[in-house]
Amino acid sequence: MNMKIDEKILQSQVQDTPCSTSSLSNYFEKDAPDEKKWADCVHCGICLESCPTYEVTGQEQHSPRGRVHLIKSVAEGKLSLNEQFMDPVFACLDCRACTTACPADVEVGPLIEEARGQIRQAMPLTGWKGMMSKFFLEGLFPHHERLNKVGTLLKFYQKSGMQTAVRKTGLINIMPDHLVAMEGVMPKVTQSVRKKYKHEDVIKAKTETKSEVAMLTGCIMDVMFGDVNDATVKVLTRNGNDVTIPKEQTCCGALHVHAGDREMGRKLAKQNMEAFHDADTVITNAAGCGAMLKEYPELFREDPEWHEKAVEFSKKVQDISKYLYDTGYEIPKAELNTKITYHDACHLVHGQGVRQEPRDLLINIPGVEMVHMPNADRCCGSAGIYNLTNPEMAGAVLDNKMENVPEEVEMISMGNPGCMLQMAMGVKKDGRNQRVVHTVQLLNWAYEKEDKKREEENEWQ
Amino acid sequence: MLKALGTEMKSVIGEEKIIERKVEEQPHPLGNGGKITVLPSTEEEIAAVVKYANENGMTITVTGTGTKRGFGGTIEDADILLSLENYHGIVEHTVGDMTITVKSGTKFEELQRYLQKHKQKIPLDPAWPENATIGGVIAVNDSGPKRFRNGSARDVVIGLRTVYPNGSVIRSGGKVVKNVAGYDMNKLFIGSMGTLGVLTEITMKLRPLPEYESLLLLSFPKGGMEEIRSFAVRLLDTMLEPVTLELINPVLAEKLTGQSTYTLAIGFEDVESSVHYQEEYVKKIHPEAQLTILQEDDSREFWQQFYQIGPKGTDSPSKLVTEASMKIGVKNMAIPEVIKESVHLQDMYNLEVFAHGGLGHGLCQVHLKGAAQDIKSALTHLRNLVKDLGGNSVIKYLPLTLRKEMDVWGEKPSYFFLLEGIKKKIDPKKTLNNQRFVGGI
Amino acid sequence: MAMKGLKIKDKHIRSLANLLSGPKPILYHKEDLLAYDCDGFTIERHLPKAVVFPKNTEEVAAIVKYCHENMLPFLARGAGTGLSGGAIPLNNEVVISLTRMKKLLSVDLENRIAVVEPGFVNLKLTNSIADKGYYYAPDPSSQYACTIGGNVAENAGGAHCLKYGVTTNHILGLELVLPNGEIIEIGKDGIPDSPGYDLLGLLTGSEGTLGIVTKITVRVLKNPEDKQTVLAYFDRVEDGSQAVSDIISTGIVPAALEMMDKTAIEAVEAAAFPVGHPRDIAAVLLIEVDGISSGIEEQISKILKVCKSRNVREVKVAESERERARWWANRKTGFGAMGAISPNYLVQDGVIPRSRLPEVLKKINEISEESGLRIANIFHAGDGNLHPLVLFDARVPGETERAIEAGSACLKVCADVGGTITGEHGVGIEKREEMRFVFTDEEIVAQTDVREVFNPDNLLNAGKLFPTPGRCAEVKKELKASTS
Repeated sequence: MNMKIDEKILQSQVQDTPCSTSSLSNYFEKDAPDEKKWADCVHCGICLESCPTYEVTGQEQHSPRGRVHLIKSVAEGKLSLNEQFMDPVFACLDCRACTTACPADVEVGPLIEEARGQIRQAMPLTGWKGMMSKFFLEGLFPHHERLNKVGTLLKFYQKSGMQTAVRKTGLINIMPDHLVAMEGVMPKVTQSVRKKYKHEDVIKAKTETKSEVAMLTGCIMDVMFGDVNDATVKVLTRNGNDVTIPKEQTCCGALHVHAGDREMGRKLAKQNMEAFHDADTVITNAAGCGAMLKEYPELFREDPEWHEKAVEFSKKVQDISKYLYDTGYEIPKAELNTKITYHDACHLVHGQGVRQEPRDLLINIPGVEMVHMPNADRCCGSAGIYNLTNPEMAGAVLDNKMENVPEEVEMISMGNPGCMLQMAMGVKKDGRNQRVVHTVQLLNWAYEKEDKKREEENEWQ
Repeated sequence: MLKALGTEMKSVIGEEKIIERKVEEQPHPLGNGGKITVLPSTEEEIAAVVKYANENGMTITVTGTGTKRGFGGTIEDADILLSLENYHGIVEHTVGDMTITVKSGTKFEELQRYLQKHKQKIPLDPAWPENATIGGVIAVNDSGPKRFRNGSARDVVIGLRTVYPNGSVIRSGGKVVKNVAGYDMNKLFIGSMGTLGVLTEITMKLRPLPEYESLLLLSFPKGGMEEIRSFAVRLLDTMLEPVTLELINPVLAEKLTGQSTYTLAIGFEDVESSVHYQEEYVKKIHPEAQLTILQEDDSREFWQQFYQIGPKGTDSPSKLVTEASMKIGVKNMAIPEVIKESVHLQDMYNLEVFAHGGLGHGLCQVHLKGAAQDIKSALTHLRNLVKDLGGNSVIKYLPLTLRKEMDVWGEKPSYFFLLEGIKKKIDPKKTLNNQRFVGGI
Repeated sequence: MAMKGLKIKDKHIRSLANLLSGPKPILYHKEDLLAYDCDGFTIERHLPKAVVFPKNTEEVAAIVKYCHENMLPFLARGAGTGLSGGAIPLNNEVVISLTRMKKLLSVDLENRIAVVEPGFVNLKLTNSIADKGYYYAPDPSSQYACTIGGNVAENAGGAHCLKYGVTTNHILGLELVLPNGEIIEIGKDGIPDSPGYDLLGLLTGSEGTLGIVTKITVRVLKNPEDKQTVLAYFDRVEDGSQAVSDIISTGIVPAALEMMDKTAIEAVEAAAFPVGHPRDIAAVLLIEVDGISSGIEEQISKILKVCKSRNVREVKVAESERERARWWANRKTGFGAMGAISPNYLVQDGVIPRSRLPEVLKKINEISEESGLRIANIFHAGDGNLHPLVLFDARVPGETERAIEAGSACLKVCADVGGTITGEHGVGIEKREEMRFVFTDEEIVAQTDVREVFNPDNLLNAGKLFPTPGRCAEVKKELKASTS
């Protein structure tokens, strides 16, 4: 059904593609994929195995090299912006593993996002996907107050016993499968830090102030994983950082850019750049957001003024794990005595090149035994809202991921909320009993344990 | 008839290179002979003889010195016995490239002695190296215990010149160690029993002579196969780099070492310190073993003797006892089972049986001596055992009369039509070594 | 996924789809097929008729049988990383992609064998047995992605084949679908020396023109006790190549002996895995020795001595596994790295007798000057396998042609010094004509004769490996046969 509608739109749209230049390209002139980015691709194929969708399908149009080839083919006039082109371009998880694998540093991720922008210009979304996308991307994420309401609703849903009721009464049966799975792993909602610290302009360091940082709270992170944000604030202040949470900040725009809505992406980017204008360091604990902030310049390729600002801004952005590691932090003294493993969030390892730092933070906690996870830097299938828009592929990718997660660990640590939800789903689906945690949470627990011990000792004295 | 053939040949090759058999002379009891023998000394002569025979419907048996005369074939005499004995010598040896090109009639040991001066060697260890020609070694794909680490002819040969039945010279491979231009035709000729063409020049990769070698003879007086097997598994799972891991049956061990026990011959070749280090390591993983270590010359002497244990085609078979050899391929860890069975054969059929097999390469050689009927039964017995183990068996030596009675190559493979197709394409008139190979090709 | 419900106009596509299972097992829209119009060799592009994704041998056989009965040309494809165009559908073939046959079927370490499906990725084999201390030796630079099936077709080499040999030295058994759909098995359980002609040897490196491999038994090896890697910088290429010869002449067989020249260094340093090679040196050697520890020390000191005697500017031994891995990543991604300094490249694959290295490099340099195109050199110096990379920009009219000419000229040089035109990449489409540099018409016919035994209708991967006018010779031969 949907396909037919889409096809109609496609026909009407594609026929009058405003390709005004004399070139063969079937792209819109504005914000067209950058030729320089694919010129580096020599078609060697080393990227293939890094790609989760190629692993699942075995098909080259679903591989980085294949996608780049197709994107180039549109520019050469061999393909048009149609459904068949859209399929591989939108099936990309945007995990950036290919960027790490590529010997020539081809920027596949940005190319895909540019292509998506083109497709969205040619064929606006319709149907269920369109509704979902509109609801999440336009209606929800950019609006902190609405998100908070959802958070409150979730809290109500969980606390009121309605969750139990839904599960017991079989109401759950009428929800689509992947939403059922999702519902099953929703974290216990805790308080948002934006609410918690709404009356404080600066959250002062617990010790002598070494530096000042601003924190991006993220949308999902702050609502669903308020405790992670809280842990981040605590870890930062404990290590001599004054923390500010600029009120004007908004959604980073990653989900919009991934979905091809580059206009909205730019709008949110501008708002964030202004909101963090006074900060020297912008801390993120959500890998997806961090990578997006760092890639703002990419959005303003055709706008020199904002491009320059974006370049300046992107230099200020740091993931919490790397920031702590680089600036020095206090190694906790209490022992956690637990076996854990670490999953590389795509946008941390491939998007920001942060691989060893979080591992070192974890290994340095006394009593933490790190079990090696093979293919730890392989996508879990979360990929923003990909698991909602492409549930089948996301499920297959998750199955592949779970095969590599060691059975014997108690906790799986990572640095991205999307991954945390997806991995929690994997743990549940697999019938396991493992806890999914953020790196900074573990660190904070170790600090808290240490403090508690000290307090007890003090009491004794 | 003979006279006519002789006269005909003289039009192709110089008279002095033709030997006509005397009327009273009997055909060779191993077969694979020729009514007339020609001994060309150049490639052109070889090509001329082959071409002439092919065009005139004659058949040819190709031979070197004849060490493999008892291997395959059911024909007493072809028209022509083409001997490459007088076609020998080194064509090209580039020391720095570590490659050598030689004429196929060159004796193997002669080559090794020459290369020794340059501290190099051909990494093969065939039987009867003093007599066997390199062409023969390659044509039957002969290998010894050192195959474990060094590989076999297919890993060593990098180029060939082959005279096709129509007299044309076909080059395959080349002079370089890596080559994927076109099909790897070398492989087709290696082990083809001379049924596709006459190998004239052979180019091989060389390896440096090891600075030091030693041989550990580990005897297992209790003869428990499980003990041997588990020791081998353990040894193979270490990072040691033995050149051989050959299990020898007690009768053969007695002949070679004076001690009648199952014996593992573990060879090491490397710089001296590394060889000694590995000796110590073996002692450590099998402390209670009875161990004899042969160093350098002693080790070389052992192997020299070893390569002469089987029947040799150049000797006339004895009228009193019958000899046979079987080459058996099984999974590496099935080797002890085969060797053990060879001991049973001794008692069952009243034979003398020398057997050895490599736990690193999966090949066994079993040499039997006794009465003809017993030999036949024993070979059948062995063949059935090997079949049960999923392996393959080929009779490498047997007098002609018995070869006619048993198929030395065993069952035809399911893809025999491909083998036959290749033979038909290259040698449609069955000029070369007719019926010498699998399924009578 | 609801494939079979869709109306497919083409009768053959419909029938092929019915022979397959699994999600979306056939591609036939132009948009999807475009990703299959070339492999790692991008100069020629042709669209396939369809791409099918069989899941097992039976499906492969069914597809092949159908193609054979309906005279549809077809070919097999793995990861498509081949560098000579072997998987390019010249004749609008049905491409049989083996990427869904990617299981590791069994590992038997006691007998040192592993059985894999053809789509299993090379490096994954080593990764799956590394914890037990074993590995699979052939390591082409594309091993992160290339499949073992493709390795068999091309007889792939790699940096470490100097000591351990190429793919053919490690293949013990094959299951194969013949071009008429018949399934055969050669070399069961990895048992050596099956009686009969060595079809394993013939098939390995036959570039997918004799059959489609569906199961492969390979030999696996125990890790060496120790390995050490040396990096040596030379101010003159001649010194570097002389050092290569000297090392080999001292009786050392290194596990790998690699060389890169100045242009190649520029590329790898500008790309994803730089290691900080000085930019002003003429050549870098990467030498690896492995084996028993105590032996290695001795070898390393010999190597250092040789390098010093050849005026090495700097020489160092890797201090950690991490450093070693970095050096190798830098080398192994060398081809792809060319993307960082040139929009296109054409890689050649000549082999020469080691001792002729200096003069050949000089001649390649002359070719570069004459063509006006830069040529980078990355090569397996130890076995004389050169990879001149001709850098060009396909957007500049005429450059592609000049690059092809320059590449061919490099191969002529190799052939003229007694070498060959390809050491590990295969002939494919790319070097068909250059086959004449090394073979006579008669020798080429000897090879096509063998092909006819397996592939009499030439439906399987036609037009590869042999020069087209080679037909002249075939025709001549036929004429001869009919007149005599």
